[in-house]
Amino acid sequence: MNVFFHLGRYYLLMAKVFSKPEKTKLFFRQFFREVDNLGIGSLGIVAIISVFMGAVITLQTAYNVTNPLVPSYLFGITTRDSMILEFSSTVVGLILAGKVGSNIASEIGTMRISEQIDALEIMGINSANYLILPKITAAMFINPFLNVMSMFVGIFGGYVACVATNAVTPAAYVEGLLFQFNSFYVTYSVIKTVIFAFLITSISSYNGYFTNGGALEVGKASTKAVVYSSVLILLFNVILTQLLLS
Amino acid sequence: MIELQNVCKSFEGREVLKHISITFETGKTNLIIGLSGSGKTVLLKSIIGLHNIDSGKIFYDSREFSSMNSLQKKEIRQEMGMVFQAGALFDSLTVEQNVMFPLEMFTNFSQKERKERADFCLNRVNLSKNAYSLFPSEISGGMQKRTAIARAIVLNPKYLFCDEPNSGLDPQTSIVIDSLIYELTAEFHITTIINTHDMNSVLEIGDKILFIYKGEKSWEGSKNEILTAENSYIEEFLFASSLMKKIKNRF
Repeated sequence: MNVFFHLGRYYLLMAKVFSKPEKTKLFFRQFFREVDNLGIGSLGIVAIISVFMGAVITLQTAYNVTNPLVPSYLFGITTRDSMILEFSSTVVGLILAGKVGSNIASEIGTMRISEQIDALEIMGINSANYLILPKITAAMFINPFLNVMSMFVGIFGGYVACVATNAVTPAAYVEGLLFQFNSFYVTYSVIKTVIFAFLITSISSYNGYFTNGGALEVGKASTKAVVYSSVLILLFNVILTQLLLS
Repeated sequence: MIELQNVCKSFEGREVLKHISITFETGKTNLIIGLSGSGKTVLLKSIIGLHNIDSGKIFYDSREFSSMNSLQKKEIRQEMGMVFQAGALFDSLTVEQNVMFPLEMFTNFSQKERKERADFCLNRVNLSKNAYSLFPSEISGGMQKRTAIARAIVLNPKYLFCDEPNSGLDPQTSIVIDSLIYELTAEFHITTIINTHDMNSVLEIGDKILFIYKGEKSWEGSKNEILTAENSYIEEFLFASSLMKKIKNRF
């Protein structure tokens, strides 16, 4: 019953969120602020994690596959496909669920307990639309850029690892990157990223918006936002993979 | 004028407001007083529509608010100003931007006009110009309350609601805030409802006072009548502090 209660309340909240903004100019101001806050603010962490993951995938594959019959360009293919298919969308999604999700839930939760949301409602403003819509749209807009950047940086990380360790020759690595490249994988990854962006921002906003109590509850809402977003990202990863790649 | 007819509200079967009927008059400061947990905040939030009432009617100048749809309520809300207990100022905006926010949302004023109007309101609440560019976290509690009042009056509201405007303030600042609300009410002919348990406010600005006891209307009168009210609950409430007891014994 609890699940149905939350689902119902979530849908009602989303109905309030996806209505016409009070003032388009204000919406766009908030939108660009959120693009900066949620997207540009996450560039650093996504780049750092991607470059190291790309390097590690390349090295681990190279050190674990010792069979001489395996062609050396395989390591480039492995890094490329791992980064594009899974890492840059799902793993980056999980990282962003932690960073962005907790940020959104605590921000909106604090606004709720300090009556800032009530103040908006009293003014006759649709608080859900004003606060949440810019976050959802901004994340759905900027996260694909983060996703593509993560692919490039991760693959570059693999190349740097090849040059630095010579576990694989850079030429073989590049040959692998170019071998039988399927561009639909990028589309698949971007589609997943857009859906994960919606899940992260809407679930975190939901948890923040319905916070009740004090600082302790804001902390709990923040934790719940990260946990639920992560679980749903993993669930939707399976569903989308089946739908898009089968 | 705001009129309440038999307003009832309960939470999970627990009755918080029981058949409250009263008329709050225009141009006067109307006070809702009572012990903590007596239902004052729930009543105030029910009047402004943050809580939906279970039964009864609420009228804003003969317009029945309680049966309005959300679009109609939204129109009435643009005639309301609210001062929250903790100010409820937007953390991400400066003092001046906080006051300009409703103007930006609901008027077609130019940036210059918005700034002029916001500065007029901030000046009216005697806030120092140095504070205009500061964020709420950088100013004192009293300054936050003044900013909240300025924001509440910036759209020339017909109805002003204040939830414990003196909480957390020293007695001197409380008197200043009370006087400010009292003056603004008369000056702009607003229907003001203040939720308080500050005895000084009761005796200084209580043009009309509603005393709630355990969710029921226990007494209604003015600041001139309250000290002689024949109501044991009011007596307990008024003379709860040792200072008030001493004053009572002396006179």
